Amino acid sequence: MKLYRKEGNIVQILSFPNENAEKGDYLMVEDTDAAKALIVQIIDVQFAAVPGVLEELLRTLPDSGELIRGEDIDPLEIAPHITYIQDASLLVCKIRATLENGLLTPSSSWLPSRSQSLIKKVSIPALMSLAKVDGRLPIILGGTKDSSLLTIDATDLDGTLNIITGKKGCGKSHLSKLLMASLVGYKATVVIFDLNGEYGSIGMTQDGRRNLYYDKIYALTPSQNFKVALNQLHLNVVLGILVNALHLPGTSAREFKRIWKQLKDQGKLTLTDLHETIKNCNCNQHVRDALASRCFSLVNSGFFTDNLAEAVLLEENLLKAKDNGGALVINLKNTGNIDRQIVVEYVLGKLVDSLQNWKLKAVFLFAEEAHLYLRETYWDDIVTRMRHFGIFTTFITNQPDTVQETIYRQADNIFLFNFTNEHDLDVVSRAARVDAETVRSIARDLPPYHCLTLGRVVRDFPMVTKVRSLDLKTMGETRLFFTGQR
Amino acid sequence: MIEQYTITTTPKYNFPQPTPETTLPQRFIELSINSLRQVRTTAFQYNQTFHQNDCSIDCPTQMQLKRQPLLLSPRHQETPVAAVDTSTMKIGETTTGIIVAIRGATVARQNHNYHYTRMGPIIFHITEENKNAVYGNLERDYFNGQYSKSYNSGPTLMQMPTRLACLLEHWLQAQMAETVSGGILLFDGSLISGTMDAPVHRIRRILSTARTNRNTVLAFSKATSLRTNGYLITDLLPEAEAPYLLETIGLRFKPPMVPLGDVYVARLQKGNIAFRLDIDCEIPYQNKLEAVERLIANDVTQQGYPETLRLAHILCTFTANEVLAMQHFIARRHGIQIVNRPDMHRLLFGPFGRESYA
Repeated sequence: MKLYRKEGNIVQILSFPNENAEKGDYLMVEDTDAAKALIVQIIDVQFAAVPGVLEELLRTLPDSGELIRGEDIDPLEIAPHITYIQDASLLVCKIRATLENGLLTPSSSWLPSRSQSLIKKVSIPALMSLAKVDGRLPIILGGTKDSSLLTIDATDLDGTLNIITGKKGCGKSHLSKLLMASLVGYKATVVIFDLNGEYGSIGMTQDGRRNLYYDKIYALTPSQNFKVALNQLHLNVVLGILVNALHLPGTSAREFKRIWKQLKDQGKLTLTDLHETIKNCNCNQHVRDALASRCFSLVNSGFFTDNLAEAVLLEENLLKAKDNGGALVINLKNTGNIDRQIVVEYVLGKLVDSLQNWKLKAVFLFAEEAHLYLRETYWDDIVTRMRHFGIFTTFITNQPDTVQETIYRQADNIFLFNFTNEHDLDVVSRAARVDAETVRSIARDLPPYHCLTLGRVVRDFPMVTKVRSLDLKTMGETRLFFTGQR
Repeated sequence: MIEQYTITTTPKYNFPQPTPETTLPQRFIELSINSLRQVRTTAFQYNQTFHQNDCSIDCPTQMQLKRQPLLLSPRHQETPVAAVDTSTMKIGETTTGIIVAIRGATVARQNHNYHYTRMGPIIFHITEENKNAVYGNLERDYFNGQYSKSYNSGPTLMQMPTRLACLLEHWLQAQMAETVSGGILLFDGSLISGTMDAPVHRIRRILSTARTNRNTVLAFSKATSLRTNGYLITDLLPEAEAPYLLETIGLRFKPPMVPLGDVYVARLQKGNIAFRLDIDCEIPYQNKLEAVERLIANDVTQQGYPETLRLAHILCTFTANEVLAMQHFIARRHGIQIVNRPDMHRLLFGPFGRESYA
């Protein structure tokens, strides 16, 4: 390989067919005289603009467009050399860092010698070692192309905002389960908004046996094994549900606050009493109607109960998870849109409450297709305000444009699966820790279950990994009509 | 003993089959490899510009062009058409000489399909010391020793690329004249002989062999310097329906040059493109015209130039890619150290420095 050009932070390297360089590989351009080296990543492989190739191809075609048949007598065997030159490729590489005195710095301000530089491949373990990804709490994401393992550090997910995105069926949920299980393994508290009911059986192996996570998974299905009593709720949580999920106007919210305090003082915080009080409330007709309709929604959701024996204390589960690590899987699969928002508002409200009171240290929140249950204003809330309380979110989506741009800008880690749509790639490339060329070039060619990892976990060295398999019972598979006939 | 060539008769054509004589001349290869061995451990300078030569000679003389065109009509009689061309290129310099590559191509048209045989590239390292030996050996081996004695001195170093290519071209022409029968043989350039590149005996023998095998040799020149009344003969085209030939008269060449063909201007297609055409002068007049008519009917003559000859030219021409490959081959296979000698023209005159040709 030979250094050909450098323009900005793009380096072009001439490579010959036997050198087998591929997109995503890392190369080291070492200038021994300068005692420095550039660490670059191949983001595109093109044909080298070898002069005369066009003529070479054209002359095999006569005017009629058919191939000319014939024989080449090549006594000196120069043809392989011609092929060698013709198949030379140009590696378009992005400079990721400069290595000097064993230290990596994100600099590309110097120019290595074109004639003297030595270019060689850098293996992922070597790069990870240079980048000091030491893996005190290792999470093995999977295998890299050079048959090494990509191991990230669980502490690098701590306090971060993560996005897992890619088109349907490429392994997003699988990766999120891997991350979730690994975090639980390190005694972290994890809450999952499980839109498709696929995380509940994580405690089981594929053949139906219990695995080491079995006792740490708390699957909660609203209206079934997950109900709450009004008197367990704090007014702020209820108001959050009414205002954010059920869009209760401010005037009505004030009236509700008054009614709530009145019932609480009387020790009558039940759905029945709430309904009765609203019905008999001496207030504006519109306010009364608004409150009545919201109360009706709460009752209809089935999520609230007056039977204390049925009520589940979320905090109890959270505290169990806190001690030994665990995951609260909130199964939203069969929950309607409004009810889903009610449940999410409740869970987030309780989480903030618990974190504010230091009942919990921090929580890793996994939110699948969050646009289906998170109100718009909550996005910023989650990534800015709630981060300070200790809620570290991982968004999982196959529609990257449903995640707000501000989220991408603040994302610390992005796990990117295959996208072919330019628009989707454009959206993802807005992330602050990502350069658009890398995303566009590499993500488009990712095979299924291969993930481009970007951000803090890989010290900003984008890595392509085949996500390792897990012995977990998967429930997220699409139900098919023609099963067995394929 | 008459040399017998293996020729298999087909229902339509009588095309040559591969024989020891039609495979690549071994002597070329031996001399090539031997010469390259000498270059080992010698510093090697790539040419900063490349210049391809093809063997063509031309000589302006006093002559007249008959204004009455000889109108042609395609003669649809199945006739094999075959063409030869060679190319040479100086691909670099060493401290003692030059590295030269030559390649030849023959193309035959059969059943409306083209079939080619390409020989080479053959690479030579030519020095002042070995040039006479290389050239003399090749000439002696392929065209009998007597011809080399006709000249007092051998070619200069700079003439060697052209000379070697001409040797290969004439060898290919001779093979074609021997192996094709009843066909039309297309040569590139003219049928002027008597020059260092084209000795009279050599060309005469090729033409004679061709006639023996009922072939007609047509030599097309892509460019000519023949003028009449100050105008290039290919520019003086009468308003007549193509295809036609224009006949020249009074063509004389200064000794030692000997014309072995009658010179015509051939306009084979509509449009103002015409070429100088030399036809073997020993062929009867009517047969000459018939040969051109058979050519028109049996080959594509887009832009007035036979496709078979065009393909031969294209196939033997070196592309920049191949030049790189040959340089790569020399460096890798023969371990030649690459040096960058500055181009003095560029160095002294910058962008005003002319390109240095081999």
